[in-house]
Amino acid sequence: MKALQELAAKLLTEKTVQIVIGYEEGPRGVRPAFITRAEDADRLVFDSRCVQNLASYLSPRRNHLVPLGKKAIVVKGCDSRAVAGLIRETQVRREDVVLIGVRCGGVVRDPAADTTLTPDTVAARCAECDIREPKLVDHLIGDLPPAPPVNRKRDELIAALDAMSAEERWAFWQAELARCVRCHACREVCPMCFCERCIADKSQPQWIESSAHRQGNLSWQFSRVLHQAGRCADCSECERVCPAKIPLSLLMRKTSLIVRELFNYRVTDDPSVPAPIGAYRLDDKQEFIL
Amino acid sequence: MNLYQPHLVRIEDIVDETVDTRTLNLAFKSPETASAFDFKAGQFGLFSVFGSGECTFCIASPPTRKGYIECSFKLVGKVTKAMRALNVGDTMGFRGPYGNHFPLDEMAGQSVVFIAGGIGLAPVRCVIWNVLDQRDRFKDVTIIYGARSVGDLVYKRELDEWAKRSDVKLWQTVDPGGQTPDWKGEIGFVPAIVEKAAPSAKDSYAIVCGPPIMIKFTLPVLKKLGFAEDHVFTTLENRMKCGVGKCGRCNCGPVYVCKDGPVFTAADLAALPSDF
Amino acid sequence: MRTTTYLSQTNLRGLAEDLLTAGTRVVAPAKIGRAPYQQVDYQRIAKVEELAMDGALPSRPLKQFFMPPTEILLRWKQKKSDVEIEEISTQFPATVILGARPCDAAAPGIVDCVMNWDYRDELYFGRRDATTIIGLACGGFDKSCFCTAVGLGPDATAGSDLFLTPVDGGYHVDVLTEKGESLVQAHAARFSDSTGMDAAKRFHADARKKVESNLNPVPPAVRQWLESNFEHTLWESIALRCHGCGACASVCPTCHCFDIVDEARGVDRGERRRNWDTCQTSRFTVHGSGHNPRANQNTRFRQRVTHKFAIYPKKFEKILCSGCGRCARACPGGMDLPELLAEIERLATSAEAPQLRGERS
Repeated sequence: MKALQELAAKLLTEKTVQIVIGYEEGPRGVRPAFITRAEDADRLVFDSRCVQNLASYLSPRRNHLVPLGKKAIVVKGCDSRAVAGLIRETQVRREDVVLIGVRCGGVVRDPAADTTLTPDTVAARCAECDIREPKLVDHLIGDLPPAPPVNRKRDELIAALDAMSAEERWAFWQAELARCVRCHACREVCPMCFCERCIADKSQPQWIESSAHRQGNLSWQFSRVLHQAGRCADCSECERVCPAKIPLSLLMRKTSLIVRELFNYRVTDDPSVPAPIGAYRLDDKQEFIL
Repeated sequence: MNLYQPHLVRIEDIVDETVDTRTLNLAFKSPETASAFDFKAGQFGLFSVFGSGECTFCIASPPTRKGYIECSFKLVGKVTKAMRALNVGDTMGFRGPYGNHFPLDEMAGQSVVFIAGGIGLAPVRCVIWNVLDQRDRFKDVTIIYGARSVGDLVYKRELDEWAKRSDVKLWQTVDPGGQTPDWKGEIGFVPAIVEKAAPSAKDSYAIVCGPPIMIKFTLPVLKKLGFAEDHVFTTLENRMKCGVGKCGRCNCGPVYVCKDGPVFTAADLAALPSDF
Repeated sequence: MRTTTYLSQTNLRGLAEDLLTAGTRVVAPAKIGRAPYQQVDYQRIAKVEELAMDGALPSRPLKQFFMPPTEILLRWKQKKSDVEIEEISTQFPATVILGARPCDAAAPGIVDCVMNWDYRDELYFGRRDATTIIGLACGGFDKSCFCTAVGLGPDATAGSDLFLTPVDGGYHVDVLTEKGESLVQAHAARFSDSTGMDAAKRFHADARKKVESNLNPVPPAVRQWLESNFEHTLWESIALRCHGCGACASVCPTCHCFDIVDEARGVDRGERRRNWDTCQTSRFTVHGSGHNPRANQNTRFRQRVTHKFAIYPKKFEKILCSGCGRCARACPGGMDLPELLAEIERLATSAEAPQLRGERS
């Protein structure tokens, strides 16, 4: 923690960056912090409650952050995959951001919970983490904590859904998506949803109806998940923010498993590796094309 | 019939004002609505094309002319595109009239200066005809109207009519570069022409509508000419959906433009937060 | 009208059973979703077993039962150049909301003001009139609760027709309105002689104490400060951590902004709908010309706070907030309304510069 605070203070003092985006103690657990003065760097914390994916604040759509100047952000290994995605898709230039990597021992699901990691409290994405020491960084902080406990409940539910008949699975998703109110909060928090104008906001033609009825909800959520195939960094911020508590990361996770199977691709923290959706290969599978 | 259900109106006439601006003349389909309908100059309505949606426009025709309403609109988005696709005889929806109005009773016996830019003439035209239809209630009438180019001037046939009238002083202008070889009017931006025309502020009201930038530079000129801030009126064009003070969209500081506006005095505007 | 009665646990379930059997729609806190994604939310229930009244604060408020996330305003049918409009009924089936938390029960009464401002929104009031609200005293949930700061409380009966307070073996019941009275009369066998008044008072006092410690009552100085500090430096960086996702508005019991859209259903017919919307998105205010009066998130967040604590009170003498704290709980970025209110109070009562942690630039 001290090393993180000292580094942030140094970056600000030496004017390497004008703002450090990290984590601080807030009224409800840990929350994003925006530090612009070296003397405030002591507010920075990092522990297992640091759930939020701060890469979202690099998205060019956050126009209120642009005037603040060059940013440094604190990234966990999983977050660095989203940063890599933004670089890969030319939304952020690597030299425009200073990445402060933190070695991570897993995070809980709720930043307002306590720090205790158990199979019940740990975030689902930590089960498969292969990147607890981020590589796409300018600085790396902390010692590597022990590996987190494993929570496979999400994958178990996916397996249970896979085992269902198509009708049962359809019924499950219809019930879940019926709660969607089309607030699009899932899109707004997503680091990879950076389109200047989302397809759901286009009216000429209106590809996706904006109403929260069945066809509107299904076409919105399925469009989003398809646009995220091979791009989603699995931070689950969409699921955490959903006011209707729809288990969106189930859709995202399942899609990533399909991409893995079809294209032998896992979302990586290496921006130079092309993603299936953005690269053309002669040997791409195409049997899913009707 | 709930609050959001529109009256049905029939397109009686279509006039192309410019390349992208069109006026629709509309008549209520229900004879009861047609005879009961009344409004005041400055009020607006929600005009709709079924299947494309609703759009807010001021009623561009004067309340002194019964049996129809008009709206003038520029091609901007989905609804205006659909409106352009309609023909005479087609059906549209109309909800209204909504909002406040220009205080014509208060202005009676005084002079009126109308200042408009581009399609901003639409709300002003409603008042101009209202005043001209009751010409003896008012003293001097001055109209200063400008557009980017000659091709962008709207209501051309009416401009000609006003130009011919001896009881109206009309100044027409186009932005520098917007003139044609045979242009007889002024060349210059509206605020400069207002300064040149220098209408008297004595016993006078001004109504100013147009692009925000035009309004911004015209208000100081009127102030210099001696117009009191509460004698200068304009309309705000905030985005609206419901028109009846519920949907929250046009809220700006303490006012809902659809309910407390769209007509505001320069004094009102000065007191509003910079949120419009 | 204020009488009291008593409803045992068994009879509460019996009452729900009676209502369901009679065909009344019953909305109550109920479990939704599948493990590990289970939540408690207000739901229309089909069976008494679904009731989850003692659990957490339902994840969403009651507003969807008065103004659904999407609703049809009219249907139209094109016949050559003519259009036929099918009116939408403003009559709604009788509904009983059972176990509404005080913040949720009070909220519709606040929103009523704008929905009845000169023009009456018949669809909204059709549902309001058809609904009986049985409130449930609250023990206070967590640090984000601040109902007592906005003039309500965990024991506030505002908006409830009947008000239940958990006491030994059941509920002490306040009968508050004619609607409540007629519900009690229609199910008289379920209610028994009033008892547990003292226990109810103790429950209320304990809950109040808990919630009151979260935030002081919002003083009039906050509204005055908001009215005269539109350009204050506080706002310049108020929303750095805000993503503009609008989750706060979705879960807010009093946020009521909406959109109106047309949707075709085939080539010659369609419907006009009202959909929830929020001032937190950039599209909300953008003009046809492309001009956007609120072009960044700081200005949009200022609008949300100002609307709730200055604009609405100025128009309708009511704060547009019931202190449920859901906005703070839902925010992925950690924006915290109680924290901001305390900061505005501090600014309003001192001459100091903004000190809100994380919002300095």
